[in-house]
Amino acid sequence: MSPKGNPKGHDKEWSANDLPGDQKGEALDNCELECDVEDSETDDDNITRMIILSPHADISQSELVQKLHMMELPLTIKATCYGAIIHGKSEVVMEAIKKVRTIDPYNIFTKDRGFPPGDPRRCRGHRGAAREGYHQLEKEFRLLEYVGEALKKPRKVSIEEPQKVPIDTFREIAEENLSHKKSLDKSKTKDEG
Amino acid sequence: MKVAVFPPNSLILADLIERKGHKPLVLQSEIRKKVVDAEIDSPPLNITEEDPIKGLKYAAIEVPSGVRGRMAIFGPLIDEAEAAIIMDEAPFGFGCIGCARTNELCVYYLRKKGIPTLELKYPVTRDETVEVVNKINTFLDQLEEENG
Repeated sequence: MSPKGNPKGHDKEWSANDLPGDQKGEALDNCELECDVEDSETDDDNITRMIILSPHADISQSELVQKLHMMELPLTIKATCYGAIIHGKSEVVMEAIKKVRTIDPYNIFTKDRGFPPGDPRRCRGHRGAAREGYHQLEKEFRLLEYVGEALKKPRKVSIEEPQKVPIDTFREIAEENLSHKKSLDKSKTKDEG
Repeated sequence: MKVAVFPPNSLILADLIERKGHKPLVLQSEIRKKVVDAEIDSPPLNITEEDPIKGLKYAAIEVPSGVRGRMAIFGPLIDEAEAAIIMDEAPFGFGCIGCARTNELCVYYLRKKGIPTLELKYPVTRDETVEVVNKINTFLDQLEEENG
């Protein structure tokens, strides 16, 4: 497993070993171990997808990467702390996503990604800090177990917003109630008399 | 159907839309066009002076160039949308979606477009999340029924 990522347009090959001591440790500790990252053509047809495991997922990140490798598809696969990133031809990537979802349909989520895996403009090992999209992913990750729960037990709900009662209807209801109350009071006084 | 989402890079919204067989219009697909070109005119992203000019379609010249530049990326997604899901009060505002004025403008354009729109509040608790997911699924099912 040699970490390398060299998107087209960048001459320098990136490696965790190139980083200074403290950053290198961080880069390796943060689970972003690149597996089988290879140079790929950056034509328009290539896409990158993030596979995110919910906290209640049946498989671990390493198992997920193993299963992706077992598919033997021509993909660039990168193991990350939240799941994996896959990169390749769009139809191959979508095929892999379809197969991955069947492993645990309610706890595996996927999202498109603009930058290819290991891109030095985004890779946190290279930048020395979390990439921008990571903060959002962190927030949404906390809700994924509930999303999975809702997907497991789907329920039809009304999506109509509750409307305000029109003033005329409100007046009618109020008048009806008042007249009803008055008639009750009258009958009460008659009974007492 | 092509469904626009707001926030445009939301994992939950994009995933739920895809599960129902629709196409989520996400920001990442637009960003990809800017970052994987063989020639990058203005590193790190391929944002050129052309982009704020494209943004003029959506925002006036007095509007800051940052808003116009962002609208050059968000705008085509809004134009393409056949339905929209808007999540208000999302607690994130980083990177491309970190501009509040652009976000307001995007939501305004989505509302103004007259397409089927579902507006929700970003869930915080378990019950809210379950409710939001059920609402999104019901909305997407209705879209399917209406459009076959």
